[in-house]
Amino acid sequence: MKKETGTGKIDVTICTGTTCYVMGASDLLTLEETLPEKILNRVNITGTTCLNLCKNKEDKPPFVMVNEKIISKANLESVKKAIQQELSGEKNANAE
Amino acid sequence: MNSFIEVDYSQKWKSTERIPGDIFLLSRDKTEGRIVCTLSDGLGSGVKANVLANLTASMGQKFTTSKMDIIKSAQIIMKTLPICKERKISYSTFTIVDINSNGKAGIIEYDNPGFILVRDNKIVQTDFTVIPLENRFPGRKEKLKHTELELKSEDRLIFFSDGVSQSGMGTAAFPLGWRRPDIENFILQQISQKRNISASELSKKIVGRALLNDIQKAKDDITCAAIYVRKPRKLLLLSGPPIDPDNDIHLVNNFVKFQGHKVICGGTTAQIISKGIDENIITNLKERDVDIPPSSEMEGADLVTEGILTLSKTADMLENKESWSTMKPNAVKKLITLFMNSDEVHFIIGTKINEAHQDPSIPVEIGLRRTIVNRIKKILEEKYLKKTTLEYL
Ligand code: FES
Repeated sequence: MKKETGTGKIDVTICTGTTCYVMGASDLLTLEETLPEKILNRVNITGTTCLNLCKNKEDKPPFVMVNEKIISKANLESVKKAIQQELSGEKNANAE
Repeated sequence: MNSFIEVDYSQKWKSTERIPGDIFLLSRDKTEGRIVCTLSDGLGSGVKANVLANLTASMGQKFTTSKMDIIKSAQIIMKTLPICKERKISYSTFTIVDINSNGKAGIIEYDNPGFILVRDNKIVQTDFTVIPLENRFPGRKEKLKHTELELKSEDRLIFFSDGVSQSGMGTAAFPLGWRRPDIENFILQQISQKRNISASELSKKIVGRALLNDIQKAKDDITCAAIYVRKPRKLLLLSGPPIDPDNDIHLVNNFVKFQGHKVICGGTTAQIISKGIDENIITNLKERDVDIPPSSEMEGADLVTEGILTLSKTADMLENKESWSTMKPNAVKKLITLFMNSDEVHFIIGTKINEAHQDPSIPVEIGLRRTIVNRIKKILEEKYLKKTTLEYL
């Protein structure tokens, strides 16, 4: 699947496939509403039909990707934390 | 005749009654492609009328579908039905329509308003033969009207109870009821406004107008049936990746070639097609439902949904005709709407098992795709009279 890149924003991809959905992805759909506005402006939230991680026995669904980072057993808290981390990572990179 | 014959009806009961005194019955023989339908209007209204109309319509259906000649069955009905001695009228009137797979139609009418045939946006007058009946009432000749027709593609046949033609009777606007030329004009108008208006919609419009003539309080049972001969509307549904990945290309080809609406139910399947036709999938994250994953969009497909959960829920909803109409627009409702707007559904089911679904730590039971699709197929055929075909890849 092709993805829009180069938006300068942090890409957050929520998997809404069967396995992720039954393991709680439906809660993650509200992510947009739970983020403060200044963070919201810096993320690009999309869904995907399957990240193809569910076939892998080691990781546990539901899955969310924050940029290149895979979050397994994702919930709103862990996704927010990962976004924060990416944001501060960017800041550090800019400062260098 | 390479056409689909859509039949539907609409009805409003007399405002003071709880059950209809008009009955419409339809049967479709799947193997022969034959259609028989009967509209019967019982004398008066309420329970008695309902029983009589039911009796008449059921006889009409039974005899006619049992290969009995349509004229013969009408004669038997006339002999069997009780008559009202005082008012010297029969207890029910009827119209029976019998259409074979080549579009050859036989129509028998007894005292119902005559049917209307629309061809090339014009009303067509048809010849009929009169079949005299045995004298049941002295001094009153009774007859059946028998018409034979060859239906053509895009033809429409409309017939109704006198609740339609007598609607508005006595009001300033319609002192003599809704007269035939006016009904005909109304029908032509509806068709010119929407060239491919469905039988279901047209019958609803006619009944709606008749009810309006009665100032929204039906003075009699109002029933209208419509038949529309049209090109079959086709739907392709893909679900599941092929067991052999070499067949992915077949899946893509089938998808591209298909003429009609196209639906993909399943994330992996959607990705195979997306790759094959080089189009993005965009998930509608605003569609929130605890047990139905959001649908997605992809150029070239009419709908993309998740697989098993959506299909299971769809099967449940289809079994329960009423409940889905009030659902908010989610993947299941979108899928059902596409089913309802199709006459033929072709399923291509990939049989590769998703091992993730077999994981014992998953809290809900995820059924087998094959089983669920077969269930949907059966409901569509038996309950919604759709033609279906299925192939495994
Ligand atoms: S369903 Fe989420 S990774 Fe496959």
